[in-house]
Amino acid sequence: MKSAIYAIIRKDIRSVTSNRQLFLPILLIPLIMIVVLPTMFVVTVRFVPEEAGDLDALLSLLPVSALDGGAEQALIQIILNNILPVFFLIIPIMTSSVMAAGSFVGEKEKHTLETLLYCPLPLGRIFYAKIMASFLMSMMVSLLSFAVMLAFMETELFILFGALTVPSLNWLIMLFLLSPAVSLIAITLIVRGSAKAQTMEESQQKAVLLILPLMLLIVGQFSGVLLVSGWLLLILALACGAAAWFLMRGCRKRFTCESLLK
Amino acid sequence: MKSIVTNSITKIYPGGNRAVSGLSLSLNQGEVYGFLGPNGAGKTTTVKILTGMLSPSEGNCEVMGIDPSAEPEKIHAISGVITEHAQMYDNLTGLENLLFYGSLFGLDRNCAQSRGLGLLRQLDLEEAADRRLSAYSTGMRQRLSLARALIHRPKVLFLDEPTSGLDPESARNVNRLIRDLALKEGVTVFLCTHQLRYAQEICTRYGLIEKGSLLASGTLDELRRTVSPRFTVKIRAGHISPDMISRLGLRRSGSDAKDSAEIPDNRQEENRGSYREGSDKETSKETGTVWLETEVESEEEIPGLVHQIVSEGGKIFHVSACLPSLEDIYFSLTAGKEGLK
Repeated sequence: MKSAIYAIIRKDIRSVTSNRQLFLPILLIPLIMIVVLPTMFVVTVRFVPEEAGDLDALLSLLPVSALDGGAEQALIQIILNNILPVFFLIIPIMTSSVMAAGSFVGEKEKHTLETLLYCPLPLGRIFYAKIMASFLMSMMVSLLSFAVMLAFMETELFILFGALTVPSLNWLIMLFLLSPAVSLIAITLIVRGSAKAQTMEESQQKAVLLILPLMLLIVGQFSGVLLVSGWLLLILALACGAAAWFLMRGCRKRFTCESLLK
Repeated sequence: MKSIVTNSITKIYPGGNRAVSGLSLSLNQGEVYGFLGPNGAGKTTTVKILTGMLSPSEGNCEVMGIDPSAEPEKIHAISGVITEHAQMYDNLTGLENLLFYGSLFGLDRNCAQSRGLGLLRQLDLEEAADRRLSAYSTGMRQRLSLARALIHRPKVLFLDEPTSGLDPESARNVNRLIRDLALKEGVTVFLCTHQLRYAQEICTRYGLIEKGSLLASGTLDELRRTVSPRFTVKIRAGHISPDMISRLGLRRSGSDAKDSAEIPDNRQEENRGSYREGSDKETSKETGTVWLETEVESEEEIPGLVHQIVSEGGKIFHVSACLPSLEDIYFSLTAGKEGLK
């Protein structure tokens, strides 16, 4: 049975990577998030005069010790370790929802789901394989995006400031706890809607709901209401993990072959 | 052993649509069962119930002793299914599709590859093996679906319109393959089709369904008897006296009345031991032959009839039994018309 599950995972990943329409947003969005956005922040910090005071509210949230190396260094730290992680979350949400929509509703749309259901695998195993495919794709894209982002940003920092900045523990929490949990929530939302959804676009709409809390976090930081600290990320990761677990538990029971083939 | 048994299965969809109503069937192993009926008759719903995709609202069924709604994956392991909506992946090649489905059925890569290539060869798709499915024609897709359904050597095949979209030659090849599977490998075939001519070529028994109910079931002969217990025998003979005609219970056929030697009936004629001349009309005029017909209950009566004509000095030029074809039976039953004669 394991080989069958691996075969579905491989096939699902290949289905997305060979489909330009699906794969392009998976490549394009991370590219904006990991190259364009950090570059804009770094260049802004380097060339906008400190006196402008636009980020004063944000800086006021930092402990006094954080400002020892100067406001510029403090801002770079904030951008890398507090602001970018929140923007970065868009990558796993988007990747997993595109993958899950293609994997579940896409199969339904192309009439290949029925053929898959005629295979000697319990429905739960097929679901598991499809969820794993979306999850693994999301994790691969997230980790790769982080590596590329770090390489770009450190290069820019070295050129513009002559120094490197070490990513904080926030990124570990982000990459290995929050990002997986949020990916699973996005996948589960798509899967739960897959029985009713008739098109991939329709099914992806639910995942947009996950972007809204992210927007609040981003606005909250820039307006100086809160700072996305390691503790906050950890609490969010645990809350999202629990939510993902509950959502997934109820997910499988909602489906029968009959409901999927409607 | 019974391969497929259904006991009064009924399927009522949410919304109240009664797709199948009290359907009872029993299929032996190695049988090719033609399940015939118009669109919306309940054929596909029956296939979905038998493959565990749908649960019956009432009644129960078994495929090779397994309840499909309780253990659908066990049914899938021993069966191959083709339906209109069971498509394959356009982004994979024909062979890659077969390898993928092979792996889902637990075949190792080498085994799936050799089996897949063998099936592609049998279905004339060898040249298209490495072509993406998006470049396949409807007929090629249909043949690949059959290859996919056979990749794991199933014991039961559920085929919903397997020859739709196929050209006559491909349809014949597919039919030959299905018949061989049943004859040589004992595969039970549950064949849903509209193409009655192809069905008649390969099916050993038939079930005719309309509005979810089984109208009739049985072999072709049994179905013929259902629509009409008697059938017409046409004889073209010479040296026949009117006395002989009345004594043997014969009558002049309509074609003879019109001075034509053609057989006017479009029903299937099973010409057993009969022959036809190149120009019947001329022969008819020159030799003074007449077209006669009578009705018999079984083909066993034909030799006696011919013997009597010959022994009384008549000459036989043609004998044919006008048996109703499956198409005749189908239309007769579905249209609720009276039997053929």
